[in-house]
Amino acid sequence: MSQRPIQLPLPGFDTARARWQDAYNQQMPGEKTRRNRSGIEIRPLYTPQDWRGERYLEQLGFPGEVPMTRGIYPSMHRGRTWSQRQLIGLGTPQDYNARLERILAAGGSALSLIPCNSVYRGYDADEVDAVLLGTCGAVVNTVEDMQACFEGVDIGSISTAMNDPLPFTLLALLLAVAKQRGVPWCKVTGTSNQSDYISHFVANHMFFRIALPGSRRILVDHIDFAARNLPGWNPLSVVGQHMQQAGATPAEAMGLTLSTAVQYAEDCIARGMEPDVFLPRFTFFFDISMSFFEEIAKMRAGRRIWCRLTRERFGARDPRAWRFKFHGQTSGVDLTRQQPLNNIARVTTQAMAGIFAGLQSLHTDSYDEVLSVPTEDAARIAVSTQNILREEAHLTDVIDPLGGSYYVERLTDDMEEAIIAVMQRIEEAGGMYHAAESGLVQSMIGTSALAFQEQVESGEQTIVGVNAYRVEENSDAHAPLARPRAEAMQAQLDALARYKRGRSMGEVRAALDRLARSVADEGDNVFEKVVDAAIAGATHGEIVAKLREEMGFGEPLVQV
Amino acid sequence: MSQALSRTERIAALMNGDPAALARAISDVERQRPAARSTLEAIQPHLGRARVIGVTGVPGAGKSTLISRYVTELRRAGRRVGVVAVDPSSPISGGAVLGDRIRMAEHATDPGVFVRSLASRGHAGGLSPTATHVVDLMDAAGWDRIIVETVGAGQGEVDIADAADVRIVVSAPGLGDDVQALKAGILEIADVLVVNKADLAGADQTAAQLASMLALRAEHARDVSICKTTATTGQGVAELAVIVETRLAAGDSRRGCAAQRARRMVATAAGNLLTRELRELEAPWLQEICERLQRGQSDLESAARAVLRSAKLVDE
Amino acid sequence: MISRRAEPVRVLVTKLGLDGHDRGSRVVAAFLRDAGMEVIYTSPWQDVTAVVQLALQEDVDVVGVSSLATDHLLVPKLTEALAQAGLGHIRVVVGGIVPDEDESMLKRSGVSHVFHPGSTREEIVAEVDALARAARRERDGD
Repeated sequence: MSQRPIQLPLPGFDTARARWQDAYNQQMPGEKTRRNRSGIEIRPLYTPQDWRGERYLEQLGFPGEVPMTRGIYPSMHRGRTWSQRQLIGLGTPQDYNARLERILAAGGSALSLIPCNSVYRGYDADEVDAVLLGTCGAVVNTVEDMQACFEGVDIGSISTAMNDPLPFTLLALLLAVAKQRGVPWCKVTGTSNQSDYISHFVANHMFFRIALPGSRRILVDHIDFAARNLPGWNPLSVVGQHMQQAGATPAEAMGLTLSTAVQYAEDCIARGMEPDVFLPRFTFFFDISMSFFEEIAKMRAGRRIWCRLTRERFGARDPRAWRFKFHGQTSGVDLTRQQPLNNIARVTTQAMAGIFAGLQSLHTDSYDEVLSVPTEDAARIAVSTQNILREEAHLTDVIDPLGGSYYVERLTDDMEEAIIAVMQRIEEAGGMYHAAESGLVQSMIGTSALAFQEQVESGEQTIVGVNAYRVEENSDAHAPLARPRAEAMQAQLDALARYKRGRSMGEVRAALDRLARSVADEGDNVFEKVVDAAIAGATHGEIVAKLREEMGFGEPLVQV
Repeated sequence: MSQALSRTERIAALMNGDPAALARAISDVERQRPAARSTLEAIQPHLGRARVIGVTGVPGAGKSTLISRYVTELRRAGRRVGVVAVDPSSPISGGAVLGDRIRMAEHATDPGVFVRSLASRGHAGGLSPTATHVVDLMDAAGWDRIIVETVGAGQGEVDIADAADVRIVVSAPGLGDDVQALKAGILEIADVLVVNKADLAGADQTAAQLASMLALRAEHARDVSICKTTATTGQGVAELAVIVETRLAAGDSRRGCAAQRARRMVATAAGNLLTRELRELEAPWLQEICERLQRGQSDLESAARAVLRSAKLVDE
Repeated sequence: MISRRAEPVRVLVTKLGLDGHDRGSRVVAAFLRDAGMEVIYTSPWQDVTAVVQLALQEDVDVVGVSSLATDHLLVPKLTEALAQAGLGHIRVVVGGIVPDEDESMLKRSGVSHVFHPGSTREEIVAEVDALARAARRERDGD
């Protein structure tokens, strides 16, 4: 981009290069400029003119050392590979528990809980159309439900990724279960996977529940609560995935995510928290698209920027605060309904990019995700893909194996520049909170989504089976649908009604009142009162409804 | 409503408050169907019961959320509320995305709220003559508070002055130079200035800034109310509703002068028509006038006068 | 591409139920706008009653429902409610991730067309335009 070609002391280099360029031009007359999804020009060849490693220590360094471009730990995947974290959840808490048992028996070490869409939207099962219940995740509304989910599982020894948007009712219910079982909270480990309310507001409204100002307050309360009570819990996962899935380019997704992290860090500092206390608990979550090298460069550049930001802007001294820990998920929007088995190849490619990019945790999509909610067979193939890449293909033997490639290093530099340009634009708009509130971010994402779709429509971007290499398909060959059994769901609804009748309404009402009062009192911690309400027996839907009443309903700003 | 209804029956259904009849009458007006003319004529004697509140403002001020909350207040007071939301059409395709529905979700199933989105269809983001007809149709159908919302840019805000009894202009802190931009036109038409997002730092400053801008205006300055709201939580919206109702009760209405309004509308419509006709007309006399102008033998003003003298553009 | 029309087609693009992934519906709304249509766009999570009221007040010709999860299971309730409200002329289309067995169920319930991932802009615009004209003819009876 703006970098000048490096002058090389190699005798004969320039002549040889000119010779190759001529030969190339002869074979490729009138070639059109190629660009990656982020708009960066991709040239046919990279040489020491593009990257020579002169500033190796400054730009790359060693794994686990500043600026962490090559990885955040000294041994990276050679020491400990990534966590295989498959998102699961379907049907009733009992269905979830049964699936969990099979996963644990197969050696899984990290769990995730995907609740039903009704939970995401902040409702109890009895508040929505029953036909939608449990079709995309587990229905979890009460302490009893959470008990059933983790029946027979030691919640003090396993890490759980909670897909739990604020006000973090699922974590509150988990803490209530821990209390009942006598498991100390300091032993509860995992991540609040959907705590990034700004990403929900701009790009994935599924999770957005409470109006922006209220969301802003609750997130900081939550981070503060975790810092004081939950040493093993990561309260924040800053999510680039939603924005990229919604259409942001990889550079935009990374830039917007880093800007979001900056916003949250500043909000914590404004609350009087110490960067060295909260930054080590920040984690990230990214989409891995089909743009193989671009994704690798995106993560490497992100790691470098974050390390510099935490040190220079926030003055963090603790090396744990500099580490850009991220979970990667293969991109669902890149999968096709046409010739669905092709998706296995796509997921494999995306997973490889994620592994080469040095991720800490990986979710591989099931090939049938684009047809319906994933079947168990397809989910198993997705897990096997990870095992094959790790243990048969030995992708983990060398740390940052693409480091030092002229192309990858130059692309990392170019992506860094593009990412920083996005961050500057957000900074000029008054930071991520304001840029989201004003609709700037939404219109950036919308423009990029449309531009990509136009490339597909014009055939400039090939999608196998969609705009090229089409075949006649027998659509009956698709796997049968997995839908929760209606009787099981009715039993779940009955159990909810029984639960509601069986609790002490006096205690529940008092706890919800205290929750409402905590909103009015700026010195109080709202999340602490959410946990208290869960312990007192309030349901997920009741807690969200109370906060909506006090803080406003979360209507996203949707822009076309 | 069945298709078999006669024109008279449809008008009766409209006046009885049948929402389907209203929706269809609005479409007829928008599509300039012959039926529209007779409907508009028939309702003339029944107009004037509704009160019209114009809302415009700076983009990003939270106007739509505020309106949604304001509608809640009006519903609480037992009003039937009509909302006319005008969004710009694309100048290229003529299409439009009418998105203001987005913020009205909480009234989506309330039969006491009727929302109709209009594309500006070439009227520079402002109120088309259609919009005033739509207001009349809602009025005749028994909607007693009608909110007309226009996008906060361009000519539209000034047009609101003609169509509304009370005009609300929405602003918010932290929008930078946009508050300054208020000076350039829409401040003049405001009866009520709302500083939304009052929970943000700088809200008082914005309010003070607006007050001092008002003070600079010699006349009317005392007439304008300033009001702070937080639309996301609803804070201050009840007060806003009281202010508007008080003004309405005091007979605050610049819409009242129907004759003036009609005059302005006719002038605009005739002008538009003339422009369109002249652009397409193939006539020797027009060519001659244009050539004289090109050669510098006449100035623009004389050329225009010559056109008006020669033009007999409409047959009937 | 369809040229500018004197009476733009009016289309409601919406999402029923609980899911909030709206990339598809946003892109489709932009396509339809660029083809000269007036698109009423809603936030996700509408319920059937709301969509019917909206379709009635806005006098649309076509209702497009985007579904990525299982929210299309609510669409038969929508077609039924539209008919009951005297809006049987309005054509309903569904776009998104719809399993085959659900597609036949939707067609039986009166859905005019189901668009799958990979449907092109041309296909979508042409189909919606044709359906809208048919809807208007049916309603106006002329």
